[in-house]
Amino acid sequence: MSVLVVVVALVVAVATYLTWLALRLDRLAARVADARGGLVAQLVARAAAAGDLAERCALDDLAASARRARAVYPPLLAGAALDGGVELVENALSRSLRSAEVAAAGQRFPAELHAVDSGAARVALARQFHNDAVRDLRALSGRRLIRVLHLSGRRPAPGYFEIDDALPVRDDAAAAHGEPFDHGEPFDHGDRPGLAS
Amino acid sequence: MKIGLACPYTWDVPGGVQVHVRDLAETLIAAGHEVSVITPVDDERTLPAYAVDAGRALPVRYNGSVARLLMGPVSAARVRRWLREHDFDVLHAHEPSAPSIGLLACMLADGPIVATFHTANPRSRFLVAAQGALQPSFEKLRARIAVSEAARRTLVEHLGADAILIPNGVAVDGFADAQPLPGYGDGRPTVVFLGRIDEPRKGLDVLLAAMPALLARIPDARLLVAGPGDAAGLRARLEPDLRTRVDLVGLVSDADKPRVFASGQAYCAPNTGQESFGIVLLEAMAAGTPVVASDIDAFRRVLDDGRAGRLFDVGDPGRLAAVLAEVLTDPEAAAELVRRGRGVVETYDWRTIAERIVDIYQMVSGDRQVSVAAS
Repeated sequence: MSVLVVVVALVVAVATYLTWLALRLDRLAARVADARGGLVAQLVARAAAAGDLAERCALDDLAASARRARAVYPPLLAGAALDGGVELVENALSRSLRSAEVAAAGQRFPAELHAVDSGAARVALARQFHNDAVRDLRALSGRRLIRVLHLSGRRPAPGYFEIDDALPVRDDAAAAHGEPFDHGEPFDHGDRPGLAS
Repeated sequence: MKIGLACPYTWDVPGGVQVHVRDLAETLIAAGHEVSVITPVDDERTLPAYAVDAGRALPVRYNGSVARLLMGPVSAARVRRWLREHDFDVLHAHEPSAPSIGLLACMLADGPIVATFHTANPRSRFLVAAQGALQPSFEKLRARIAVSEAARRTLVEHLGADAILIPNGVAVDGFADAQPLPGYGDGRPTVVFLGRIDEPRKGLDVLLAAMPALLARIPDARLLVAGPGDAAGLRARLEPDLRTRVDLVGLVSDADKPRVFASGQAYCAPNTGQESFGIVLLEAMAAGTPVVASDIDAFRRVLDDGRAGRLFDVGDPGRLAAVLAEVLTDPEAAAELVRRGRGVVETYDWRTIAERIVDIYQMVSGDRQVSVAAS
């Protein structure tokens, strides 16, 4: 009798533990999915801002990079993987945004340049959120017990998204625009790189 | 947005984290957000309308000081009810590495959670011992914020996770347009010191040693010293001809602090020890007083490498006297320091800081709201 009680208690404990692990995996998968959605949204926003600036200032190289980036978004928004192909076009866009022509054009169109820099700063943040989530999920699903019992199910492990998103260094004139000196409106979004909503 | 802030430490006991949570909550409310704070508190009557009582915290000896912590079933029930009643767009837990309400909220909630780490603690025994137990809660954090480079490093070293650096905000509004204290503001060149007078790290001795050289250059200069400590003992140690040039006004109230800065043509921070952050420097800059400070990392960072305030070699009275004399006798250079100082202060203004935090809320919140976790 007492053996039966012990066995039942053990089974319940193990089942509870496994359920809890599965719940954590689900929660992490949801976090990765949200972070991925956020990252794609920021990539789309950055490319849109880059396209605007390119059009305003007739920057062919930037226009081409922005166009190539925009071509990959429909499949991404439909759920395609953030793979090496996406990383390539986003890297090319990052490089175009750091070019001297863009900096020069920004002198004439500070608002457009600012939108681009804001977008780039948010891409860097969104990418950090995404990769942090991916790392946490991979750490948990890599545990032996979880692999042996296939607790992750058929979900493929998500990949990190690695691009060069270093922010361009702007000189004083452009930077001055980025610093909010107005005391008037307490929450005037869009006045600083990385803060525009 | 609907924002829930979980504060780990007793609301009515003075502390940096509590001040941070209060200022953040009030700035967010002023900006039109819906904010609720849950916090331990000793006397419930001290809670503002936006805060909810999580119970009384237990004092625990930890890390050389007494921390007041709270993790019991009563608090858990209160946090659960708080989460259920509010449907937050985002939950912002403070210091979830301490066993208190911040961590409890992370354990009990599900959805968009952001955490701010305040403490720099290179060898946190609790963090090391509890890492495995904390992981299930920490893996819910969609964004981590650290208030200082040191706090960020602590996080990287103990948890292998990076964080976004967003400094503490400074409530700068009260500092602009302050009136000088009675007897000051008459145009006589005045240097201001603020801090404990008998704590060597604060460096008052360096400043006193610089006074003779300063008086040789500017004979009518004087020094205003505001801060607690043994004033009689200090006065006895002063050279007789310095005694009439050094005013010891003792501890000043928070309300009078802006007036102290407004009483001087220069604010001097001669600290000899490492400081983690130069809040007093920012307050002086907000008051429009030129800053002269020791060349230590934290001050150099706040003073924009010497552009927004003058730096001098740590513990060197000769250099300090020379730099002070330049600031006191060159009104144009002083005005330029003040102008740049105001620009720096702007980036630490709570409104700017809160804007950056809201930006993170928006990036992580998505369309899910915060809910009570299934387990």
